[in-house]
Amino acid sequence: MSILVIHPGTFYHIESLEAPRYAGTFDRLVRPEDLQDVRLEDFRVVLIPCRTPAERMIAHAGRLRAYLDQGGTVIATGENDWAHYLPAIHFTPQETNWWWWLTPGADLGVQITAPGHALFKRLTRDDLSWHMHGWFDVPDGAEVLAVNESGKPILYIDEVTTKGRMILTSLDPFYHHGSHFMPATTRFLDGFLGWMREDLDR
Amino acid sequence: MSVLLVNAHSGVAEALFDRPEAEGQLRRVRQRDLTAAHFAEASGLITTMYLDQVGFLQHAASLQALLGRGGRWIFSGHMLRPPIPSLGIYVPLPDPRRVDFALTRLYEHPIFAGIDQKALEVNRGVAGFYGRGHNPMPHGATAINGLGPQHLPIDWDWARPDGGHIFSHAGNDFWGNGDDAILHQVLADRAVAWAAGEL
Repeated sequence: MSILVIHPGTFYHIESLEAPRYAGTFDRLVRPEDLQDVRLEDFRVVLIPCRTPAERMIAHAGRLRAYLDQGGTVIATGENDWAHYLPAIHFTPQETNWWWWLTPGADLGVQITAPGHALFKRLTRDDLSWHMHGWFDVPDGAEVLAVNESGKPILYIDEVTTKGRMILTSLDPFYHHGSHFMPATTRFLDGFLGWMREDLDR
Repeated sequence: MSVLLVNAHSGVAEALFDRPEAEGQLRRVRQRDLTAAHFAEASGLITTMYLDQVGFLQHAASLQALLGRGGRWIFSGHMLRPPIPSLGIYVPLPDPRRVDFALTRLYEHPIFAGIDQKALEVNRGVAGFYGRGHNPMPHGATAINGLGPQHLPIDWDWARPDGGHIFSHAGNDFWGNGDDAILHQVLADRAVAWAAGEL
Protein backbone atom coordinates (compact mmCIF):
# COMPACT_ATOMS: atom_id res chain seq x y z
CA MET A 1 0.00 0.00 0.00
CA SER A 2 1.74 3.13 -1.08
CA ILE A 3 -0.30 5.61 -3.12
CA LEU A 4 -3.54 6.89 -1.60
CA VAL A 5 -5.73 9.14 -3.75
CA ILE A 6 -8.61 11.32 -2.67
CA HIS A 7 -11.63 10.61 -4.89
CA PRO A 8 -14.12 13.49 -4.94
CA GLY A 9 -16.43 11.69 -7.39
CA THR A 10 -16.96 14.14 -10.27
CA PHE A 11 -16.86 12.63 -13.75
CA TYR A 12 -13.36 13.84 -14.45
CA HIS A 13 -12.16 12.25 -11.21
CA ILE A 14 -13.87 8.96 -12.03
CA GLU A 15 -12.34 8.89 -15.49
CA SER A 16 -8.85 9.90 -14.34
CA LEU A 17 -8.68 7.68 -11.28
CA GLU A 18 -10.67 4.61 -12.29
CA ALA A 19 -10.18 4.18 -16.04
CA PRO A 20 -7.56 1.63 -17.10
CA ARG A 21 -4.92 4.15 -18.16
CA TYR A 22 -4.05 5.11 -14.56
CA ALA A 23 -6.11 2.87 -12.29
CA GLY A 24 -3.13 0.58 -11.69
CA THR A 25 -1.05 3.55 -10.59
CA PHE A 26 -3.01 4.00 -7.40
CA ASP A 27 -3.22 1.60 -4.48
CA ARG A 28 -6.33 2.96 -2.87
CA LEU A 29 -8.97 5.55 -3.65
CA VAL A 30 -10.76 7.13 -0.75
CA ARG A 31 -13.68 9.50 -0.57
CA PRO A 32 -12.89 12.68 1.38
CA GLU A 33 -15.68 11.76 3.76
CA ASP A 34 -14.02 8.43 4.53
CA LEU A 35 -10.52 9.76 5.07
CA GLN A 36 -10.82 9.58 8.84
CA ASP A 37 -11.02 5.79 8.56
CA VAL A 38 -7.69 5.50 6.74
CA ARG A 39 -4.27 5.31 8.39
CA LEU A 40 -2.38 7.86 6.33
CA GLU A 41 0.96 6.67 7.66
CA ASP A 42 0.43 3.40 5.80
CA PHE A 43 0.95 5.28 2.53
CA ARG A 44 4.03 6.82 0.95
CA VAL A 45 1.98 9.37 -0.94
CA VAL A 46 -1.39 11.04 -0.49
CA LEU A 47 -2.60 12.59 -3.75
CA ILE A 48 -5.27 15.27 -3.87
CA PRO A 49 -6.47 15.76 -7.47
CA CYS A 50 -7.67 18.92 -9.20
CA ARG A 51 -10.94 20.47 -8.10
CA THR A 52 -11.31 18.70 -4.80
CA PRO A 53 -13.77 20.92 -2.91
CA ALA A 54 -11.97 22.34 0.10
CA GLU A 55 -15.07 22.07 2.26
CA ARG A 56 -14.69 18.31 2.03
CA MET A 57 -11.02 18.42 3.08
CA ILE A 58 -10.94 21.03 5.83
CA ALA A 59 -11.87 18.54 8.53
CA HIS A 60 -8.75 16.54 7.67
CA ALA A 61 -6.26 19.41 7.85
CA GLY A 62 -4.91 18.27 11.21
CA ARG A 63 -4.39 14.70 10.10
CA LEU A 64 -2.71 15.79 6.88
CA ARG A 65 -0.35 17.96 8.91
CA ALA A 66 0.42 15.08 11.27
CA TYR A 67 1.06 12.83 8.27
CA LEU A 68 3.45 15.38 6.81
CA ASP A 69 5.19 15.81 10.15
CA GLN A 70 5.95 12.13 10.33
CA GLY A 71 7.57 12.27 6.88
CA GLY A 72 4.70 11.67 4.49
CA THR A 73 4.34 13.07 0.99
CA VAL A 74 1.30 15.03 -0.16
CA ILE A 75 0.77 15.85 -3.83
CA ALA A 76 -1.92 18.34 -4.75
CA THR A 77 -2.78 19.58 -8.23
CA GLY A 78 -4.58 22.63 -9.54
CA GLU A 79 -7.82 24.52 -9.08
CA ASN A 80 -7.85 23.68 -5.39
CA ASP A 81 -8.10 25.87 -2.30
CA TRP A 82 -5.10 24.11 -0.75
CA ALA A 83 -4.53 26.74 1.94
CA HIS A 84 -7.61 25.50 3.79
CA TYR A 85 -6.04 22.15 4.58
CA LEU A 86 -2.29 22.29 3.83
CA PRO A 87 0.32 24.48 5.55
CA ALA A 88 2.35 27.34 4.09
CA ILE A 89 0.39 27.71 0.85
CA HIS A 90 0.33 31.24 -0.53
CA PHE A 91 -1.42 31.30 -3.88
CA THR A 92 -2.30 34.13 -6.23
CA PRO A 93 -4.81 33.33 -8.98
CA GLN A 94 -4.15 34.77 -12.40
CA GLU A 95 -6.54 35.40 -15.21
CA THR A 96 -6.51 32.38 -17.45
CA ASN A 97 -5.85 32.92 -21.13
CA TRP A 98 -7.77 30.03 -22.61
CA TRP A 99 -7.03 31.11 -26.14
CA TRP A 100 -3.28 31.73 -26.30
CA TRP A 101 -2.77 28.83 -28.66
CA LEU A 102 -5.02 30.42 -31.32
CA THR A 103 -2.24 32.88 -32.08
CA PRO A 104 0.26 31.34 -34.49
CA GLY A 105 3.62 30.90 -32.83
CA ALA A 106 2.33 31.87 -29.40
CA ASP A 107 3.99 30.53 -26.28
CA LEU A 108 2.19 30.15 -22.95
CA GLY A 109 5.45 30.96 -21.24
CA VAL A 110 5.94 27.97 -18.94
CA GLN A 111 9.60 27.51 -18.06
CA ILE A 112 11.23 24.53 -16.42
CA THR A 113 13.59 25.85 -13.75
CA ALA A 114 15.12 22.58 -12.57
CA PRO A 115 15.88 20.73 -15.80
CA GLY A 116 18.07 18.25 -13.95
CA HIS A 117 15.21 17.07 -11.77
CA ALA A 118 14.20 13.45 -12.32
CA LEU A 119 10.67 14.51 -13.25
CA PHE A 120 11.97 16.09 -16.43
CA LYS A 121 13.36 12.88 -17.73
CA ARG A 122 9.68 12.20 -18.33
CA LEU A 123 8.21 15.62 -19.11
CA THR A 124 9.00 18.40 -21.53
CA ARG A 125 7.96 22.04 -21.38
CA ASP A 126 5.17 21.33 -23.85
CA ASP A 127 3.76 18.72 -21.49
CA LEU A 128 3.28 21.47 -18.87
CA SER A 129 1.72 23.97 -21.28
CA TRP A 130 -2.05 24.22 -21.44
CA HIS A 131 -3.40 26.91 -19.08
CA MET A 132 -2.12 29.09 -16.28
CA HIS A 133 -4.36 29.41 -13.25
CA GLY A 134 -2.05 31.17 -10.85
CA TRP A 135 1.22 31.05 -8.97
CA PHE A 136 2.64 30.40 -5.53
CA ASP A 137 4.81 32.37 -3.13
CA VAL A 138 6.92 29.45 -1.99
CA PRO A 139 8.77 29.19 1.35
CA ASP A 140 12.51 29.82 1.41
CA GLY A 141 14.25 26.58 0.62
CA ALA A 142 11.47 25.08 -1.46
CA GLU A 143 12.52 23.64 -4.82
CA VAL A 144 10.80 25.34 -7.73
CA LEU A 145 10.47 23.07 -10.75
CA ALA A 146 8.50 25.28 -13.14
CA VAL A 147 7.39 28.88 -13.40
CA ASN A 148 4.88 30.90 -15.38
CA GLU A 149 5.52 33.61 -17.97
CA SER A 150 6.46 36.04 -15.19
CA GLY A 151 8.86 33.69 -13.51
CA LYS A 152 6.40 32.85 -10.71
CA PRO A 153 6.31 29.28 -9.35
CA ILE A 154 3.59 26.97 -10.67
CA LEU A 155 5.16 23.64 -9.63
CA TYR A 156 7.32 23.18 -6.55
CA ILE A 157 8.42 20.83 -3.81
CA ASP A 158 8.33 21.98 -0.20
CA GLU A 159 10.48 19.92 2.16
CA VAL A 160 11.09 22.77 4.59
CA THR A 161 7.69 23.51 6.12
CA THR A 162 7.22 20.03 7.58
CA LYS A 163 9.34 16.94 8.08
CA GLY A 164 7.61 15.51 5.03
CA ARG A 165 7.19 16.70 1.47
CA MET A 166 4.50 18.66 -0.33
CA ILE A 167 4.44 18.71 -4.12
CA LEU A 168 2.15 21.47 -5.33
CA THR A 169 1.13 22.63 -8.75
CA SER A 170 -1.44 25.04 -10.09
CA LEU A 171 -1.69 22.94 -13.25
CA ASP A 172 -4.94 20.99 -13.48
CA PRO A 173 -4.23 17.79 -15.42
CA PHE A 174 -6.80 15.50 -13.82
CA TYR A 175 -9.64 17.83 -14.74
CA HIS A 176 -8.75 18.05 -18.40
CA HIS A 177 -7.59 14.48 -18.90
CA GLY A 178 -10.74 13.22 -17.20
CA SER A 179 -12.80 15.41 -19.51
CA HIS A 180 -11.15 13.88 -22.59
CA PHE A 181 -9.90 17.34 -23.37
CA MET A 182 -6.34 18.59 -23.85
CA PRO A 183 -3.73 16.02 -24.89
CA ALA A 184 -0.92 17.81 -23.02
CA THR A 185 -2.63 16.95 -19.73
CA THR A 186 -2.55 13.25 -20.57
CA ARG A 187 1.12 13.50 -21.43
CA PHE A 188 1.67 15.33 -18.14
CA LEU A 189 -0.04 12.59 -16.15
CA ASP A 190 1.81 9.87 -18.04
CA GLY A 191 5.10 11.42 -16.95
CA PHE A 192 4.15 12.79 -13.56
CA LEU A 193 2.39 9.68 -12.28
CA GLY A 194 5.17 7.47 -13.60
CA TRP A 195 7.68 9.61 -11.68
CA MET A 196 5.47 9.53 -8.60
CA ARG A 197 5.26 5.78 -8.71
CA GLU A 198 8.94 5.11 -9.28
CA ASP A 199 10.64 7.92 -7.40
CA LEU A 200 8.29 8.75 -4.52
CA ASP A 201 6.99 5.31 -3.72
CA ARG A 202 10.27 4.10 -2.24
CA MET B 1 -42.40 24.03 -5.00
CA SER B 2 -39.22 25.04 -6.71
CA VAL B 3 -36.45 23.48 -8.72
CA LEU B 4 -33.54 22.07 -6.79
CA LEU B 5 -30.06 22.95 -8.09
CA VAL B 6 -27.28 20.83 -6.66
CA ASN B 7 -24.17 22.93 -6.27
CA ALA B 8 -21.11 20.75 -5.99
CA HIS B 9 -17.98 22.63 -6.98
CA SER B 10 -16.02 24.88 -4.67
CA GLY B 11 -15.95 28.45 -5.77
CA VAL B 12 -18.50 28.21 -8.57
CA ALA B 13 -21.95 29.49 -7.78
CA GLU B 14 -23.50 29.26 -11.27
CA ALA B 15 -24.36 32.97 -11.39
CA LEU B 16 -26.77 32.38 -14.26
CA PHE B 17 -29.15 30.91 -11.70
CA ASP B 18 -29.05 33.88 -9.34
CA ARG B 19 -32.18 35.46 -10.76
CA PRO B 20 -34.42 32.39 -10.66
CA GLU B 21 -33.16 31.73 -7.16
CA ALA B 22 -33.93 35.30 -6.07
CA GLU B 23 -37.41 34.97 -7.55
CA GLY B 24 -38.08 31.76 -5.66
CA GLN B 25 -38.17 29.49 -8.70
CA LEU B 26 -35.00 27.71 -7.75
CA ARG B 27 -33.33 26.51 -4.58
CA ARG B 28 -29.59 26.01 -4.60
CA VAL B 29 -28.19 23.46 -2.15
CA ARG B 30 -24.61 22.38 -1.64
CA GLN B 31 -24.34 18.69 -2.41
CA ARG B 32 -22.89 17.88 0.99
CA ASP B 33 -25.98 19.40 2.61
CA LEU B 34 -28.46 17.57 0.38
CA THR B 35 -31.18 15.55 2.13
CA ALA B 36 -34.22 13.55 1.11
CA ALA B 37 -36.36 16.48 2.21
CA HIS B 38 -34.85 18.70 -0.49
CA PHE B 39 -35.99 16.23 -3.15
CA ALA B 40 -39.41 15.85 -1.55
CA GLU B 41 -39.91 19.62 -1.64
CA ALA B 42 -38.76 20.01 -5.26
CA SER B 43 -40.70 19.97 -8.51
CA GLY B 44 -37.56 19.34 -10.53
CA LEU B 45 -33.83 18.94 -10.29
CA ILE B 46 -30.77 20.36 -12.05
CA THR B 47 -27.35 18.82 -11.56
CA THR B 48 -24.25 20.31 -13.13
CA MET B 49 -21.09 18.87 -14.61
CA TYR B 50 -19.50 19.22 -11.17
CA LEU B 51 -21.85 16.73 -9.54
CA ASP B 52 -20.15 14.25 -7.23
CA GLN B 53 -21.67 11.28 -9.02
CA VAL B 54 -20.33 8.78 -6.52
CA GLY B 55 -21.91 10.63 -3.62
CA PHE B 56 -25.12 11.29 -5.53
CA LEU B 57 -25.86 7.57 -5.62
CA GLN B 58 -26.97 7.80 -2.00
CA HIS B 59 -29.87 9.93 -3.20
CA ALA B 60 -31.03 7.48 -5.86
CA ALA B 61 -34.23 6.60 -4.02
CA SER B 62 -35.11 10.26 -3.52
CA LEU B 63 -34.43 10.94 -7.18
CA GLN B 64 -36.59 7.98 -8.24
CA ALA B 65 -39.39 9.29 -6.03
CA LEU B 66 -39.12 12.78 -7.53
CA LEU B 67 -39.31 11.37 -11.04
CA GLY B 68 -42.06 8.94 -10.07
CA ARG B 69 -44.37 11.79 -9.17
CA GLY B 70 -43.72 13.45 -12.52
CA GLY B 71 -40.64 15.50 -11.65
CA ARG B 72 -37.97 16.41 -14.15
CA TRP B 73 -34.20 16.07 -13.90
CA ILE B 74 -31.64 17.91 -16.02
CA PHE B 75 -28.36 16.05 -15.96
CA SER B 76 -25.34 17.83 -17.41
CA GLY B 77 -22.03 16.01 -17.67
CA HIS B 78 -20.54 12.64 -18.48
CA MET B 79 -22.72 9.92 -16.97
CA LEU B 80 -20.35 7.53 -15.22
CA ARG B 81 -22.39 6.51 -12.16
CA PRO B 82 -26.01 6.16 -13.28
CA PRO B 83 -28.35 6.50 -10.31
CA ILE B 84 -31.28 5.25 -12.38
CA PRO B 85 -31.52 1.88 -14.14
CA SER B 86 -31.63 2.20 -17.94
CA LEU B 87 -29.09 5.02 -18.00
CA GLY B 88 -25.88 4.05 -19.76
CA ILE B 89 -22.24 5.01 -19.35
CA TYR B 90 -20.83 8.00 -21.23
CA VAL B 91 -19.17 7.19 -24.54
CA PRO B 92 -16.38 9.59 -25.57
CA LEU B 93 -15.57 10.22 -29.22
CA PRO B 94 -12.56 7.99 -29.89
CA ASP B 95 -10.32 10.35 -31.87
CA PRO B 96 -12.34 13.45 -32.61
CA ARG B 97 -11.70 15.88 -35.44
CA ARG B 98 -13.48 19.14 -36.13
CA VAL B 99 -16.22 17.52 -38.20
CA ASP B 100 -17.08 15.28 -35.25
CA PHE B 101 -18.00 18.32 -33.14
CA ALA B 102 -20.65 19.59 -35.55
CA LEU B 103 -24.04 19.96 -33.89
CA THR B 104 -27.35 19.25 -35.57
CA ARG B 105 -30.79 19.98 -34.17
CA LEU B 106 -32.83 16.82 -34.40
CA TYR B 107 -35.92 17.80 -32.43
CA GLU B 108 -37.33 21.17 -31.42
CA HIS B 109 -37.25 20.71 -27.68
CA PRO B 110 -38.65 23.64 -25.66
CA ILE B 111 -35.27 24.37 -24.06
CA PHE B 112 -33.70 24.99 -27.47
CA ALA B 113 -36.73 26.18 -29.46
CA GLY B 114 -35.79 29.02 -31.79
CA ILE B 115 -32.11 28.84 -30.88
CA ASP B 116 -29.65 28.11 -33.66
CA GLN B 117 -27.65 25.16 -32.40
CA LYS B 118 -24.68 26.43 -34.37
CA ALA B 119 -24.50 29.31 -31.88
CA LEU B 120 -23.55 26.74 -29.24
CA GLU B 121 -21.12 24.79 -31.38
CA VAL B 122 -18.06 26.98 -30.87
CA ASN B 123 -16.51 29.23 -28.25
CA ARG B 124 -14.28 31.84 -29.88
CA GLY B 125 -14.32 29.77 -33.02
CA VAL B 126 -13.17 26.62 -31.21
CA ALA B 127 -15.43 23.56 -31.21
CA GLY B 128 -15.50 20.78 -28.65
CA PHE B 129 -16.60 22.59 -25.52
CA TYR B 130 -20.26 21.68 -25.94
CA GLY B 131 -19.40 18.02 -25.75
CA ARG B 132 -17.08 15.33 -26.99
CA GLY B 133 -19.23 12.25 -26.64
CA HIS B 134 -22.68 11.14 -25.60
CA ASN B 135 -24.61 9.55 -22.79
CA PRO B 136 -26.45 6.60 -24.35
CA MET B 137 -30.17 7.15 -24.79
CA PRO B 138 -32.54 4.87 -22.94
CA HIS B 139 -35.10 3.10 -25.09
CA GLY B 140 -37.87 5.51 -25.96
CA ALA B 141 -35.87 8.70 -25.44
CA THR B 142 -35.90 11.50 -28.00
CA ALA B 143 -32.65 12.83 -29.43
CA ILE B 144 -32.59 16.63 -29.40
CA ASN B 145 -29.15 17.52 -30.70
CA GLY B 146 -26.80 15.27 -32.64
CA LEU B 147 -23.02 15.28 -32.51
CA GLY B 148 -20.93 14.79 -35.62
CA PRO B 149 -21.90 13.09 -38.86
CA GLN B 150 -23.49 10.19 -37.01
CA HIS B 151 -25.73 12.54 -35.02
CA LEU B 152 -24.76 10.89 -31.76
CA PRO B 153 -27.34 11.97 -29.17
CA ILE B 154 -25.46 14.56 -27.17
CA ASP B 155 -28.78 15.93 -25.84
CA TRP B 156 -31.87 13.88 -25.27
CA ASP B 157 -35.13 13.86 -23.35
CA TRP B 158 -36.59 10.71 -21.91
CA ALA B 159 -40.20 10.53 -20.78
CA ARG B 160 -39.86 7.61 -18.41
CA PRO B 161 -42.54 4.90 -18.41
CA ASP B 162 -42.31 5.08 -14.62
CA GLY B 163 -42.94 8.81 -14.60
CA GLY B 164 -41.02 12.00 -14.95
CA HIS B 165 -38.52 13.18 -17.52
CA ILE B 166 -34.75 13.03 -17.69
CA PHE B 167 -32.94 15.52 -19.88
CA SER B 168 -29.32 14.60 -20.55
CA HIS B 169 -26.55 16.79 -21.89
CA ALA B 170 -23.20 15.03 -22.31
CA GLY B 171 -20.67 17.81 -21.97
CA ASN B 172 -19.83 21.05 -20.26
CA ASP B 173 -22.95 22.67 -18.82
CA PHE B 174 -24.95 23.57 -21.91
CA TRP B 175 -26.09 26.93 -20.58
CA GLY B 176 -22.48 28.15 -20.63
CA ASN B 177 -21.59 27.34 -24.22
CA GLY B 178 -21.21 29.68 -27.17
CA ASP B 179 -20.12 33.31 -27.05
CA ASP B 180 -23.48 34.98 -26.44
CA ALA B 181 -24.03 35.91 -22.78
CA ILE B 182 -27.70 36.66 -23.41
CA LEU B 183 -28.14 33.20 -24.83
CA HIS B 184 -26.49 31.72 -21.74
CA GLN B 185 -29.13 33.36 -19.55
CA VAL B 186 -31.94 32.26 -21.86
CA LEU B 187 -30.76 28.67 -21.64
CA ALA B 188 -30.42 28.80 -17.86
CA ASP B 189 -33.88 30.34 -17.49
CA ARG B 190 -35.36 27.73 -19.78
CA ALA B 191 -33.60 24.94 -17.93
CA VAL B 192 -35.25 26.09 -14.71
CA ALA B 193 -38.65 26.49 -16.37
CA TRP B 194 -38.43 23.07 -18.02
CA ALA B 195 -37.32 21.34 -14.82
CA ALA B 196 -40.24 23.03 -13.08
CA GLY B 197 -42.63 21.53 -15.62
CA GLU B 198 -43.58 24.96 -16.92
CA LEU B 199 -42.06 24.65 -20.38
